[in-house]
Amino acid sequence: MYFRKLRLQKTQTSRLLNEFELIQGLRNGDETSFRYLVDTYQDRVYNTAIGIVQNAEDAQDVAQEVFIQVYRSIHHFKGEAKLSTWLYRIATTRALDLLRSRKSKKRFGFMQRLFGDGNEPLHELPDFNHPGVTLDRKENAAKLFRAIAQLPDNQKTAFTLHKLEDLSYQEISEVMKTSVPAVESLMHRAKQNLRKILEKETD
Amino acid sequence: MNMDKNKKIEEILNSLDGSRRASTPGFFYTRLKARMEKGLEPAVKSSWVIRPAFALSALVVVLLVNAAVILKEDTAKENVVADTDNIQSIAAEYRLNDNNAVLFDVNQDNK
Repeated sequence: MYFRKLRLQKTQTSRLLNEFELIQGLRNGDETSFRYLVDTYQDRVYNTAIGIVQNAEDAQDVAQEVFIQVYRSIHHFKGEAKLSTWLYRIATTRALDLLRSRKSKKRFGFMQRLFGDGNEPLHELPDFNHPGVTLDRKENAAKLFRAIAQLPDNQKTAFTLHKLEDLSYQEISEVMKTSVPAVESLMHRAKQNLRKILEKETD
Repeated sequence: MNMDKNKKIEEILNSLDGSRRASTPGFFYTRLKARMEKGLEPAVKSSWVIRPAFALSALVVVLLVNAAVILKEDTAKENVVADTDNIQSIAAEYRLNDNNAVLFDVNQDNK
């Protein structure tokens, strides 16, 4: 029991040391550290982004921006939260920004077309198929993603982080800078809203 | 029927359970480096409608239109006053008011 506890403490310390060293490396502009950061976290960031923006190309753009932001603002990172928490926070914020920009583009789409500035397609995006979902669940997952897209931003964030990234309510509360009961409430409301949306669609 | 529907909804809600994490497309790091070297072009580009230059130009246009409408109204009022004066002076010159009275009397006689 004692050895197990000691081993656990050692693992936690080594993680902290590694993260500390990584942050120091990033602050010094060390490319190896940056490469290590990208290799370690790129899939987590991409998976979070793709869950929110529901488009592979946009998710890649968002993921790139997250790492660029980290590279540029690492000096402002105080180390109060884990690096992964910070990355998830930037990823969700950037992804939601992209959704907002998509909405406003749609709103002003007719004007953009009038002035010949809008080359982007204005039609609705097709059903999204998450690449990690098994074949037998693809159809249901596509329906769920369509419903998730209709959720308010904070419910969407909490639900995506929990379901796609398997984060605990505690971890989600750190990412969203809120309390655990607030996350529980968000998840409860998200599920209620999803049920309502799905009920309408299955009628 | 309702049980089936609830079961179906539950299946949909749980469809992401056990899913794998999506992986970044190949050469992610290379693309990222290329973008960093090229300079960041954000995925979220601000719409031209909310750009300061557009907003300022729109404001100036709105102010100009307002000013033009106000000025036009003032000129129109002056013209109406001038037109009334002209009509009255012409009427006085040709004694149109007296003629009208005569015509009125003639009409009365005809009845």
